[in-house]
Amino acid sequence: MKEELAPHVHDITRALGNKVSEQEIERELSSYLNVYRVSLDTAKRSIVKKHGGNPATLATGISKTLRELMPGEQSVNLLARIVSVNERDVTVEGGSKRILYGILGDPTTTIPFTAWEPLPVPLAKGDVVRVQNAYTKEYRGQVQVNFGIRTAVAKESPTALPEFKPGAGQPYVGKPTAVRVADLREGASNVAVTARILSVERREVEVDGAPKAVFSGILADETGKTQFSAWKDFSLKPDEVLRVEGAYVKTWRGIPQVSFDERATITRLKPDLLPPSERLNVSPRMWIEDLAERGGAADVTVRGILIDLREGSGLVYRCPECRRVLRKGACRLHGEVKGEPDLRVKAVLDDGSGALTAVFDRELTEGLLDKSLEACIAAAKEAMSTDVVRDELADILVAQPVEARGNVTSDDYGLMMIVESAKLLKVDVQAEAREMLEGLEGSA
Amino acid sequence: MIREVAWRLFASEYNDANLETEGTGERPPSYVVTPLGAKVNRVFVVGVITDVENVGTDGQPMWRARVSDPTGTFHVYAGQYQPEAASALSKLKPPVFGAIVGKSRIYSPQPGTTYTSIRPEVIKSVDESVRDYWILEACRSLQKRLDAMAEAQKMDPPTKEGLVKVGVKEAIADGIVQAVNHYGKVDLSRYLAMLAEGLRYLLPEYREPIAPGEPTVDTPRPIKQEPSREADESEGKVLEIIAALDADGKGAPWEGILETATTRGVSKDSLEESINALLDKGLIYEPILGRMKKI
Repeated sequence: MKEELAPHVHDITRALGNKVSEQEIERELSSYLNVYRVSLDTAKRSIVKKHGGNPATLATGISKTLRELMPGEQSVNLLARIVSVNERDVTVEGGSKRILYGILGDPTTTIPFTAWEPLPVPLAKGDVVRVQNAYTKEYRGQVQVNFGIRTAVAKESPTALPEFKPGAGQPYVGKPTAVRVADLREGASNVAVTARILSVERREVEVDGAPKAVFSGILADETGKTQFSAWKDFSLKPDEVLRVEGAYVKTWRGIPQVSFDERATITRLKPDLLPPSERLNVSPRMWIEDLAERGGAADVTVRGILIDLREGSGLVYRCPECRRVLRKGACRLHGEVKGEPDLRVKAVLDDGSGALTAVFDRELTEGLLDKSLEACIAAAKEAMSTDVVRDELADILVAQPVEARGNVTSDDYGLMMIVESAKLLKVDVQAEAREMLEGLEGSA
Repeated sequence: MIREVAWRLFASEYNDANLETEGTGERPPSYVVTPLGAKVNRVFVVGVITDVENVGTDGQPMWRARVSDPTGTFHVYAGQYQPEAASALSKLKPPVFGAIVGKSRIYSPQPGTTYTSIRPEVIKSVDESVRDYWILEACRSLQKRLDAMAEAQKMDPPTKEGLVKVGVKEAIADGIVQAVNHYGKVDLSRYLAMLAEGLRYLLPEYREPIAPGEPTVDTPRPIKQEPSREADESEGKVLEIIAALDADGKGAPWEGILETATTRGVSKDSLEESINALLDKGLIYEPILGRMKKI
């Protein structure tokens, strides 16, 4: 183990300008890997960040499996198979440009990719490529790999990678680590979770061109709720309490989620081991500073003030192909298209401890305005500008105390809540002030 | 770049600040650190906008607004680089309840003198309930800092790690340590009083009954030893006479005042007394010798 880690310990100390001793780095790295069981890459980055260094200066890249990729990674090395590849012309900053896009696969999963710059080698379906210095983004809940100007792509022998087989993977060795739902962190593997299933449904997804069933839903313990995905049919039922051993944690835009497959062991437990579903299925109220620390959470409630509307609130037009909001009539990926109208609000919700971007969909926005999309289009036509809709929303929303409930995700730009429901906050200010004053006088 | 949080804090605490620090990164944000350790880059304020005036020129307007809360006054400046906020300010008709989101600013014309102000991003008129909710939030925020500062004062010296250990959030702990290093040991009782004042402001049982039409000045009127209604009466009459005789705007001539006063039953003695009293109260003045003018 020690010899294996040595190059990485060197790499970390070098990235930190030799400020920290190798012994200390080795101890930390070993703790991250063996106690907290995060991936090597996550461990290296975390250690460098913790000591105030820049993780981008780490040199010894670790080839990741596609399933390990998170959104927002800056320097990713991969060995993957081209599952499909296509060409497309896009408009970028006024000019036209040819890009490649398609799907990458490895034994763990498949992921879409886009090559924004011409590649030195032609790519064809079935090729195995070694990719260095790619970066990842997230779009519509899925990680995407991007090849940019710094990315190197080289072909490898087709036998360098086994054919993609969904669900493949080696069984875990060693005892799983027991983790409570609130303590799930990205990158952890072989964990044991004791929880109640609150909901479960079967979905069909396409994995490498073949249909596959995934059983996903919500599970919870006393500390919180989380999404889960089971890649094997364990005949899970709502309300049952079980122990899942050998699960792993992925994040979807910052929200930790539990996944498990045929490597996991499921043990059914007594139903009264955990509080009933109604008690577990609440949306906990949280401070934004705590959400920022966790990186997001599923189904939480936040109270704060909508202090500003962001660009792109009100009446927007979306690309009919990818649903991106058009800028000046053009889609970032598909160029000039005929946009489809939609209503949305992107507002800054600030609770005094932190701020997040709250996104309200068409239905919620129509409710806030008490106006339909059609009425907004008509109003914008008459005023010859979509600003009227935005101004009306600003008038209703800005400076308003609200309570919003939804999923909170995170990326490089901070936290974002996809608002599920929201209401204007009515607080009995006098009662709360009286209580605080009594506390003050009592302690004086 | 994570968005800076908008602090809710009272004008009195904000205006006590004279420390400015910089963050890190490519474009380091600047912070105004208050004596209680609020490390403020952005503020959210709701108060009464009491006046708005253009302190720039017509060609390059710079709008200044005063926003008062239960403890003091914020100064808000919006110029050509805040076009939306400037235009919103110029259209307001004070007094009005206003919500302001803006960036903290500190200005030091000379060593030892500092002025804090706000450069607004968003300005909006709101109703009283939004203002009341803001006061409650400002009180809660103040309470948090008071508790954390009380912990810090028990430590020697206070450290970020020590504060985090007793449950203070890291973001607040950082500001507290900077504040202690700069301001030394601040007197918490002053801020406790501010907190109580803010809370009482929200409660009708502490509101002093104010008769309609009465001026709402805090200073009590000087109590006269002889509360004579006669004196008040003649003062009123004299004031009327002075106003009426001031035909050309240069003031009423003494002879005319005396003549008219006598016909209205005010003796020369009580006239002189009344004029002296009115001069004292600042209701009239003597622009040139022998003439009286109402202010």
